[in-house]
Amino acid sequence: MPQLGVSVVEGTVIRWLVGVGDDVAADQPLCEVDTDKIVTDIPSPAAGTLAELLVHEGETVEVGATLARISKTGRSGSHVDHERPEFHSPVVQRLAAEHGVDLGGVPGTGRGGRISKQDVLAAVEKPLHTESPYRAEAPAGQLSRMRRAIGAHMKRSLETAATCTTWMECDMARVEQSRRGAKASSLLGVTPLPIVARAAMDVLGEHPALNATLEGERYTRHEAVHLGVAVSLGEDGLIVPVIRDAHALTVEELGVAIRELAKRARKQQLSPDEVGGGTFTVTNPGQFGSLMATPVINQPQVAILDLEAVVKRAIVIEDADGNDVIEIRPQTILGLSWDHRALDGAQAAQFLGALRRRLERWDG
Amino acid sequence: MPTMTYLEAIADALREQLRADPRVFVLGEDVGAFGGAFKVTDGFVEEFGEERVIDTPLAEAAIVGAAVGAAVVGMRPVCEMQFADFVACGFDQLVNVAGKTHYRFGLAVPLVVRLPSGGGFSGGPFHSQNPEAWFMHAPGIKVLAPSTAEDAKGLLTAAIRDPNPVVFLEHKHLYRRVKGEVPEGIYETPMSARVVREGTDLTVIAYGAMVHAALEASAPEALDGASVEILDLRSLVPLDTQAILASVAKTSKALIVDEANETCAAGAQVAALIAEHAFEQLDGPVRRVATPDVPIPFSPPLEQAVLPSVERIRDACRDLLDY
Amino acid sequence: MESLSRADRVELLRAMLLMRAIESRALTLYRQGRVPGSFYDGFGQEAVSVGAAFALGPRDRLCPLHRDLGAHLVRGVEPARILAQYMGRASGVTGGRDGNVHFGDPASGVMGMVSMLPDMMCVAAGMAMAFKLRGEPRVALSWFGDGATSRGDFHEAMNWAGVQRLPVVFVLENNQFAYSTPLAKQFAVDPVERARVYGFPGVTVDGNDVEAVFEAVRAARERALTGAGPTLVEAVTMRMHGHAAHDDMRYVPPELLAEWTRRDPIERQERRVAQLAVDVADLRAAVDVEVEAAAAEALAAPMPDPAGAARGVFAEGEPEPLGDGRAPWSGFADAVAEAPA
Repeated sequence: MPQLGVSVVEGTVIRWLVGVGDDVAADQPLCEVDTDKIVTDIPSPAAGTLAELLVHEGETVEVGATLARISKTGRSGSHVDHERPEFHSPVVQRLAAEHGVDLGGVPGTGRGGRISKQDVLAAVEKPLHTESPYRAEAPAGQLSRMRRAIGAHMKRSLETAATCTTWMECDMARVEQSRRGAKASSLLGVTPLPIVARAAMDVLGEHPALNATLEGERYTRHEAVHLGVAVSLGEDGLIVPVIRDAHALTVEELGVAIRELAKRARKQQLSPDEVGGGTFTVTNPGQFGSLMATPVINQPQVAILDLEAVVKRAIVIEDADGNDVIEIRPQTILGLSWDHRALDGAQAAQFLGALRRRLERWDG
Repeated sequence: MPTMTYLEAIADALREQLRADPRVFVLGEDVGAFGGAFKVTDGFVEEFGEERVIDTPLAEAAIVGAAVGAAVVGMRPVCEMQFADFVACGFDQLVNVAGKTHYRFGLAVPLVVRLPSGGGFSGGPFHSQNPEAWFMHAPGIKVLAPSTAEDAKGLLTAAIRDPNPVVFLEHKHLYRRVKGEVPEGIYETPMSARVVREGTDLTVIAYGAMVHAALEASAPEALDGASVEILDLRSLVPLDTQAILASVAKTSKALIVDEANETCAAGAQVAALIAEHAFEQLDGPVRRVATPDVPIPFSPPLEQAVLPSVERIRDACRDLLDY
Repeated sequence: MESLSRADRVELLRAMLLMRAIESRALTLYRQGRVPGSFYDGFGQEAVSVGAAFALGPRDRLCPLHRDLGAHLVRGVEPARILAQYMGRASGVTGGRDGNVHFGDPASGVMGMVSMLPDMMCVAAGMAMAFKLRGEPRVALSWFGDGATSRGDFHEAMNWAGVQRLPVVFVLENNQFAYSTPLAKQFAVDPVERARVYGFPGVTVDGNDVEAVFEAVRAARERALTGAGPTLVEAVTMRMHGHAAHDDMRYVPPELLAEWTRRDPIERQERRVAQLAVDVADLRAAVDVEVEAAAAEALAAPMPDPAGAARGVFAEGEPEPLGDGRAPWSGFADAVAEAPA
């Protein structure tokens, strides 16, 4: 299992693309692997014949574990320079048989990755199917690897940060105008997201405390804005690719980048380094019609901006004569979840206020 | 409960049996007036007289043969070979006469042959042997090898009261180095194994002096907190197969330590039993630490190099634990 | 001999006749393939075992060797059990556990031999040692051959018995050959000479005169009972058959055999007993009938059950020492009457 990204420690084989006995060329994709960030192919390190598959589909192994053996002589396993072949000691075989444990799914902590007696017993004690009140009604399954990873990340974030959320209404008339007025070729996209992102980065320049990361005790304010943009993958979950040095991009460039990233994300073509290293994140679930949310901060950042639906509302504004009048205007509610360990409400409100002013005066 | 050395415990057992049973008598070289080469029978001739503590000629075959003769006419002789190594001179009488008599004639031969055994003090090739395997291999002879003072007394008592020829291995190195609480009065230790320390990760099987080496080698702090079970065999014939297999079933890993020369030592038999009867319990190969097949050398660095050291045992434990 | 009554003398002959008849019958059975392994006999040496055993009391203990069948007969072991023993039957004295004359019925006070000669000399010394330790008026007796005197156990036992002045009688059956090895190749000094250097007397006796053998052992026993220690009795005789039934003894000069045939111990005793108006022919006939009946009984006995082959290695419970055997000499009649049961 190669190290697919700096922080990756393990991966799951999703699908084998070749079988035992197949001839493989160097660089030919052998299998699809899922880390908690991306799904990617593993190219063959050499030409030869696939002699043995050591990791089954659905099995998770640590970085460094052998996935398969390629025989260079064309014969299965005969002259391969290998470590010990997969070995199950007598007690491991017996316990596995007695308890119905699939050894293919048991991680080995013995020497060389051998499955030890303790490993099997541990697998016995943590069965896949727990005594659930729903057992009789529906067949039990398992969340996808990515879903589980997202879940773990979210849970960790909520357990780590002192998460608070502040909301502010914002008049989007100018933003909408700018959007509609955009040339067809400018690829501004369907949502106001690139404009809001651009505006937010301008405000971050004046409110640097929100473009920061907090890892344990280590608090870092960043000069550049590496902007994470949440992309929904539908049932498969969500992913937050990062636009590096996003502060240097124009609205149009941002639009292009966001659309590109989203496309590649949905095709599972992201590289592992495109999903890390962000300093601030924007999420835009508003396309589905929700008004407010309580977004979870993308660790180890200290804030996340949430852009919800833009809806027409009847609001009270001052006319040119200073009188209160009711008008129909496109409105949205900007949400900011922020970490009370690094920030306080005033800062959050000031940021949102500054962002709102910018957006309400937007002139493209 | 009094505390005494391993040697004192042996003397205690002998003394009590001489007092309790007029059929018991002691014979060997220098056991009477001199009190024995290791002073086990010190003071005995004064208490029991020359007729019950007999200074024999230098004649191991006659010592053992005469013991057989006395045993079949109603006595309970306890022979001493001055060093275990010299039992070779009485081997024929022990194996061919004593060991085979009951099987052939239904005639019991209740005798004990005490063997001061083992190395570790520059005794050289003829004063350092552990010959127990020779007698495990001979039908009709029981073989005992205690490691503690309490067991030394209890097992010698059991040996003297047994109606069969019994070879009793008293490890010289333990004579004065091992002390313990020893119950007063007459008691017998069963001819079975004993769990000295309970554990879950590895079983180390040993007897005699090697029990102490194994204990030291496998202390939890020495092995990153690993839980090592130590099984003291105590009796080689009969061998406590049940205790051996129960321990291996629990830990799934077995290391056997022999001070005797490796080939066909007691540990080889234990290993074969484990491989045959506990195969499906094993999570690692059955390993042995033993003295290589060499006469025990005299010079300390040579002797230390061949006898199983605490370090060698510890390394073997570590290796198996990591398997 | 003054100490031998008429009945004693007849009994001595009868025992020798019985020994020869049993061994002859057994040799036939051996040649018929009914005796597994090897077959050893004491043909021509009957006086040595019968005469010596006859001098031992009921509480004395015996260690005979393979040419000393007469000792077992004197002590009361039944011929049928002996023939069954040769044939490896369940009713044999060892139940098939050991063969030919490797037996000793513990109840008869006899400890069976081992093949390593003369291990039993050390054992006999030990028996005597126990009698002395306990202050009992008993002796132990061990038979052994000229060849056995070359081994270490002979010297250890002789020295042990001599230095401790044990009540043991060592009977050296000098039958001229140890398998094919003549005396000249066996030792430089006649073993009877060696007793002296071990501290006790060595006496030579005509091994084919049963009454002389008896007398020599009787005297040695008396000496032992006074506390004077051991005696080596050399009984000079001749091995008239091969080492075993498979040995054709071609190494024995025929003249030697011819000479010793004239000194046959049975014929000698027959002549003596005939002078006492005993019908020797009757005696022979009775012995033959007895042996035939014994052979029939032994031939009908079953072989041992293989299931028991590995049993009985270890004794359990209280050990039973050797029992008292039959002691037919009239000189023991009073002793038997007086001694407690």
